[in-house]
Amino acid sequence: MPKINLRGVQKYAVMFILIILMVLFSFSSPYFLTIRNLTNIITQNTYFIILAIGLSFVMIGGGIDLSVGWQMSLVGVVTAMCMTLYNLPVWLSVVIGILLGTFLGFFNGVIVANIKVFPLIVTIATSTVFQGVSYIISQAKTYRSYPEEFLFIAKEKMLGMPFDVWLTIFIVVFASFVYYRTSYGWNVLALGGNEEAARLAGIKTKAMKISVYTICGFFTAIATMVMIAKANTTNSSFGPGTEFTALTAAIVGGISFMGGEGNMLGLVTGVFILAVLGNGMQLAGWGTYAQYIVKGIILLGAVSFDELQKSFRGKTRKPAPDQAPTAKSQ
Amino acid sequence: MQAPILTVKNLTKTYPGVVALNDITMSFEKGEVHALLGENGAGKSTLIKAISGAIEPDSGSIIFEDKNYIKMSPGSARENGVAVIYQEFSLVESLSVAQNVFLGEKRGLLVDNKDIKKRAAKIFEQMNVNIDPAAQVRKLSPAKKQLVEIAKAVSANARILIMDEPSAPLCASEVETMFEIIGKLKRQGVTIIYISHRIEELFRISDRVTVMRDGRYIDTLSTKSTSRKELISLMVGREMREYYPKRSTEPGEIVMEVRNISGLGDENISFSVRKGEILGVAGLVGSGRTELASILYGAMPKESGETWIEGKKREIHSPSQAIEYGIGLIPEDRKHHGCIIFASVKFNIVLSIFNRTAKFFIVDLKAHNKTALYYKEKFNIKTPSLEQKVINLSGGNQQKVILAKTLAANTSILIFDEPTRGIDVGSKQEIYNLMSELVDQGKTIIMISSEMEELLGMSDRLIVLCEGKYMGEVPKEEFDQRHVIELASGNC
Repeated sequence: MPKINLRGVQKYAVMFILIILMVLFSFSSPYFLTIRNLTNIITQNTYFIILAIGLSFVMIGGGIDLSVGWQMSLVGVVTAMCMTLYNLPVWLSVVIGILLGTFLGFFNGVIVANIKVFPLIVTIATSTVFQGVSYIISQAKTYRSYPEEFLFIAKEKMLGMPFDVWLTIFIVVFASFVYYRTSYGWNVLALGGNEEAARLAGIKTKAMKISVYTICGFFTAIATMVMIAKANTTNSSFGPGTEFTALTAAIVGGISFMGGEGNMLGLVTGVFILAVLGNGMQLAGWGTYAQYIVKGIILLGAVSFDELQKSFRGKTRKPAPDQAPTAKSQ
Repeated sequence: MQAPILTVKNLTKTYPGVVALNDITMSFEKGEVHALLGENGAGKSTLIKAISGAIEPDSGSIIFEDKNYIKMSPGSARENGVAVIYQEFSLVESLSVAQNVFLGEKRGLLVDNKDIKKRAAKIFEQMNVNIDPAAQVRKLSPAKKQLVEIAKAVSANARILIMDEPSAPLCASEVETMFEIIGKLKRQGVTIIYISHRIEELFRISDRVTVMRDGRYIDTLSTKSTSRKELISLMVGREMREYYPKRSTEPGEIVMEVRNISGLGDENISFSVRKGEILGVAGLVGSGRTELASILYGAMPKESGETWIEGKKREIHSPSQAIEYGIGLIPEDRKHHGCIIFASVKFNIVLSIFNRTAKFFIVDLKAHNKTALYYKEKFNIKTPSLEQKVINLSGGNQQKVILAKTLAANTSILIFDEPTRGIDVGSKQEIYNLMSELVDQGKTIIMISSEMEELLGMSDRLIVLCEGKYMGEVPKEEFDQRHVIELASGNC
């Protein structure tokens, strides 16, 4: 197992922060620490976790995808229109939506892999494209009231838990397995760890790059299904903004902005830290706008911490015993 | 004799696990050319960085005539007339020559371009060189860039000019020009601290030589009264002879033949290499050796040419194909190309094989453990555990990890690009022994190196490149440093 994904302090620090937040908020509001509220926090955030896991493939692979929000918008309206406007069967609508999402990711990947521009800029550009396409297709209309079979995703309970919670757990476990035990996951780690070294070691980095964006698109589409099933309505403005939460959660959860590392449990914790903060602040009567400020500061803090940790690790090199390593200065 | 212009006293600098400078005390006279000699890792670069204020020593002091500094800053170094010309030029490529020459000058808000052009032209006239002050630096040859660097130092009224391997990018005639300029500066009373690997050069231009080894000051000798042999033995701390391992086998049949390879500036390069042979590739910086390695390994596209391996023509368009045909590369830039420094030793060792050994995408953890452990013991990789991150290992051990990664992929033709750069003397010896063992086991090595001693000591045969052209082959019987250097600095 590559120890590449263990980040010492941060791994426990995020858990600790989550617990502290929960203690603080349970003092500030009597409603916070109720089963009902906690259940709400979980069920309202399943699609963020799925989205963040999709994004984690890109980020651990050393890239970034800021277009996932508008991918969700486009996939959402297309799926909803298939069901409500064209009366296609639910399964077909879902398949069309997921194929579309996967294609959007693939589209990003092909561009990022072929023109050597920062993926940040590429995905800002493609997100604008997706935005335009989404509004043209939806004609800026809202599509609501989906068939029961579709709402099943968010409503139906299996063994006491909603289907989407089970789906999320499955995806978390699956993604962890991919990173720890499969050659694909190791390729992603190698790609993000050092692209050129990975290429020279014989790893097909270009194909890998395309694939991580494609996988991101796939998971983004699944997250979209959960999102619109929960809301039972969608239009083109559903989705944008989620990329920010998913990105922040991923970084807070220890997925390095520079790639090469991250673990899924940290990522889930990261999502819940943001969720608890939002929920707690809401209950404490802070309103939505103050939350934006806090979330922005958290993102800055997490990125600085990531950077700090990288340089810190570089400096405190413990040399191997009985060995006089080479002078760094040369 | 007047007081020295610069003295360093008990200077010590440690990096975690490395004593880069160990209690160095020495002084430099006004108007002398003082050479610093030592192997990679001897501490020369650290010393000049301390003098120029680029790093902060842990203890000791730096004394300019009568001013005593415990810690030097780049600003106060400049005030005291220190100018450094590093191996990597610090020129702004997009600006003109004149703008670069006066870049550090304190001045008002506006720049009088005409004026600085005139003043730059005057400096070049004094130096007796022909460079257009209006030219863009990007368009200059390395030699001209170096002259711009020197002009920059002159314009800043440098009293102490430090030159780190200044001759590395230059060909023979350009080196002559540089020596003339150094002579002129010296007569004007400028102290030159000259760092070079090339011992011949030191005899040409230096007055005194200080030898350093493993961060320690060894001795300062008057160039007139020392010999090459003495310097080398001071430098390595033992006789050269026992440095390179004896080999027990003779090269066998041809395993790889390269025909008319062109690309990345290389033109029509052909050679062959035998089983159990070390083929050295000599050439100056910029001669196209690393480019040749990249092409052979499929890391960079070639324009034309053929590669034949064991009698079969092979098309190699990517590193993964090269590995498939048994070619491995141990790249020059270990940290950026050779390994993933933030990943574990184990992960790096299996980097080239985990895809091939995976069954239905499931990696074979047990086999990987075994492989990593095998190489850790075989190569004596010093690491507390296989989970240790590679960044925490010393240069020599990092190189062993990279070698393990390459060999784990079952490669038999190994291209070593500067295999011992930045590696301390003890580990160097280990790397040489490993290379020697490998060829004895029937592997083939193509070795690129800038260290002539190493090339002559290790190779069975040499080929020499100059500016992307094949200059010829030198068999072991004709190994002679001067001859090789002449070939390498060929028709330029």
